[in-house]
Amino acid sequence: MVAIDKDSKAGANPTKAFFVKMITRDITLEDSILDLIDNSVDGAWRSEGSRPMSLADDTDLSAYRISITASPERFSIKDNCGGMTLDDAVNYAFSFGRRAAEEHDEYSIGVYGIGMKRAVFKLGTDISIRSTYQDDDGTRLPFAVPIIVADWLESDDPPWDFDIVDDEALDEDGVDIVVNSLTPGAETSFGSPAFLQNLRRTIGRDYSLHLNRGLKIFVNDTAVSGAQIELRQSDEFAPMRVIYEDQQGDEQVTVEIIGGMAALPPESIEPDEGDEGDKRFGWYVACNGRIVLAADKSDVSGWGTEDWPQWHRQYSGFIGIILFTAANAEVLPLTTTKRSIEVSSVVFRRARPRMREVSKQWIAYTNARKQALVEAKRKEAAAIAVPIYAVERRDSATLPELIARPLERVANVNYSVPVSRLKKLAKEFGRISMPYREVGLKSFDYAYEDVVGDE
Amino acid sequence: MASFDVVNYSLRPSKSIQRQIVFDGVRTLQSHLDLDRLVYVGFGSIWFTDFVMAHKLLGIDDMVSIEGDEIGYSRAVFNSPYSTVRVRNGLSSNVLPTLYNDDLIRRRPWMIWLDYDREFDETLRDDTRSVIENAPANTVLIITFSGNEMRYGQANDRPDRLRELFGDVVPDELAKRACKDDRMQETLANLGIDFMKSVAAELARPGGFVPAFRVIYKDTAPMVTVGGLLPTRGATRVASDVVNGADWKCFPAKPIIAPHLTIRETAVLQSLLPSARSLSRPQVQSLGFDLNDEQIKAFEKYYREYPAFAQIIA
Repeated sequence: MVAIDKDSKAGANPTKAFFVKMITRDITLEDSILDLIDNSVDGAWRSEGSRPMSLADDTDLSAYRISITASPERFSIKDNCGGMTLDDAVNYAFSFGRRAAEEHDEYSIGVYGIGMKRAVFKLGTDISIRSTYQDDDGTRLPFAVPIIVADWLESDDPPWDFDIVDDEALDEDGVDIVVNSLTPGAETSFGSPAFLQNLRRTIGRDYSLHLNRGLKIFVNDTAVSGAQIELRQSDEFAPMRVIYEDQQGDEQVTVEIIGGMAALPPESIEPDEGDEGDKRFGWYVACNGRIVLAADKSDVSGWGTEDWPQWHRQYSGFIGIILFTAANAEVLPLTTTKRSIEVSSVVFRRARPRMREVSKQWIAYTNARKQALVEAKRKEAAAIAVPIYAVERRDSATLPELIARPLERVANVNYSVPVSRLKKLAKEFGRISMPYREVGLKSFDYAYEDVVGDE
Repeated sequence: MASFDVVNYSLRPSKSIQRQIVFDGVRTLQSHLDLDRLVYVGFGSIWFTDFVMAHKLLGIDDMVSIEGDEIGYSRAVFNSPYSTVRVRNGLSSNVLPTLYNDDLIRRRPWMIWLDYDREFDETLRDDTRSVIENAPANTVLIITFSGNEMRYGQANDRPDRLRELFGDVVPDELAKRACKDDRMQETLANLGIDFMKSVAAELARPGGFVPAFRVIYKDTAPMVTVGGLLPTRGATRVASDVVNGADWKCFPAKPIIAPHLTIRETAVLQSLLPSARSLSRPQVQSLGFDLNDEQIKAFEKYYREYPAFAQIIA
């Protein structure tokens, strides 16, 4: 029998390699880049005096610029948003997890202290982080943190520090991160034009509130335009817009909810191949100005939960946006990846009934309109698009009352034709991208007039 | 009516010049990369012009021609120029999958040129994707399609149509004026290349896609030729260096619009070249005929590739 040495211990020391693998594992490359943008945006906020980013705010961010270049050889992000302080670098930005006695930045979005490290490790293995900032008496102070991952991984002994070295000052106060020796995933993705276009789209969507306030973001020298969220208004259509204060512990959270018709409901609920479909509809959630959940149709925003139907294509046209603003980002309902909502958040759960209310109003409307299609379409066409910050306060949405007419018996016609033939006909009918269903209907009308004639 | 009933391929000088440039490019690639026992796959029609060039210029033996039309197929079999050319009847989307599993060619690099007359459509997109996803390592893929703006809908509809065809690579800001006139061909060429790169990246095809060909040419209708190499991972760097080098001729900055010249005119003009100074119009006139400045410039640039009728007879 082998005696167990009572002094033996099960080793529990972490290795650097393990940490790197864990923190890069559950975040996508795209989300990593958004994390770096968050840090730049937070820098811009600090430089503007840390004010909350709500829709009513008129902060001008046009002095600030973030330039991203991404190619299979290298990645860089450079901003003029004020820079990271030496104190930040020594005590916070490079530790794995936040120190408890931490002072948080007011109204920031970088809450878990992990974003930058995770991002640069995800991108590559030859990393250079340079920062130039101004201290209290206006002196410009530069420093750099170079990280050669292979060298850093050589020893697992604590402390797990990175060297801070002297550096030349950058042209403007800000941060300049350059990554060479990209990881295989980054190399492949940055060689894909589709990836880069989608990155631009995501940035335009998630930072639309900042971009519309003047912030400039460039990807490979081309400016990203902010997506516009607009809702339609008329005498009979009015979006809901409410603002209230909530609390989590001692911390204040401002909640704003807007919802209504962003686009006309779909002609048909058949999946249509040529159609953009319902991609941009659903619920948007923003935390301190950054959209963290876009066009959500899942149970995260509430669809398919208590007394709230699951999303259906019939509901296309609806956009709701809920904005949470808090001085302490830790009370915002964010997950650690900052890409989704922590559904257990008290503040979020208390807002859900209002979200559900306007969603259900819309659902009822789309059901009612099926029996009064002509009248509904006429009223919908009269509504004009208004940007969300121009929507007036209103406790609940207004939608038309429709008089149901008995349904005429219809015949559903369903047939298949080669795409090339359909496209040729669509083109002759006036629009090559006309939805298949519309081409079918037009061809029926055409044949009817020709063969049966007007009665 | 299929186009071989209407047009004799050998009388399109711009197309001929473009073809020569592409084949010369592949020959250059052959000398730098391991394109051992290359196979040629294409649409030979009944003329097999590209097949003859593949055999003579690139030393390719095993070749496959795809012909969809029934009568065309019978004529193609009859006109097949060499013993090692196989003709397959059917649409490319049906025939290509059989080639990925064909024992004779599946482990060898291909030069596959899908040379369509019609515009880029869903079929061509699917064929392109299929080849990038399935073709053997070191395959050279080239596609040609019509760049005629009218084939892509009314001016207002073209950006949406391009989005339908090319997907995410189409910038959201694509302007309508980028889809008009000769800008349409430039836009199509750029989107074609971006599309191919993205398909290879999405698939994580080791070695990716190295763009190598981008030629716009016009005899009657403007045509767009784009393509590149699907190298093994180890060959990517070499391929990239070759196609980005100063001597690579397959990215001409301007469209090829060659004049139609008689044999006499060609011979006489050619005898003045190469010349240290550009040919001038008075010089041409003194030869006894006339051409406009564009035509003279085009001939001067491409006189080495300009078709001599004798070269295309099998």
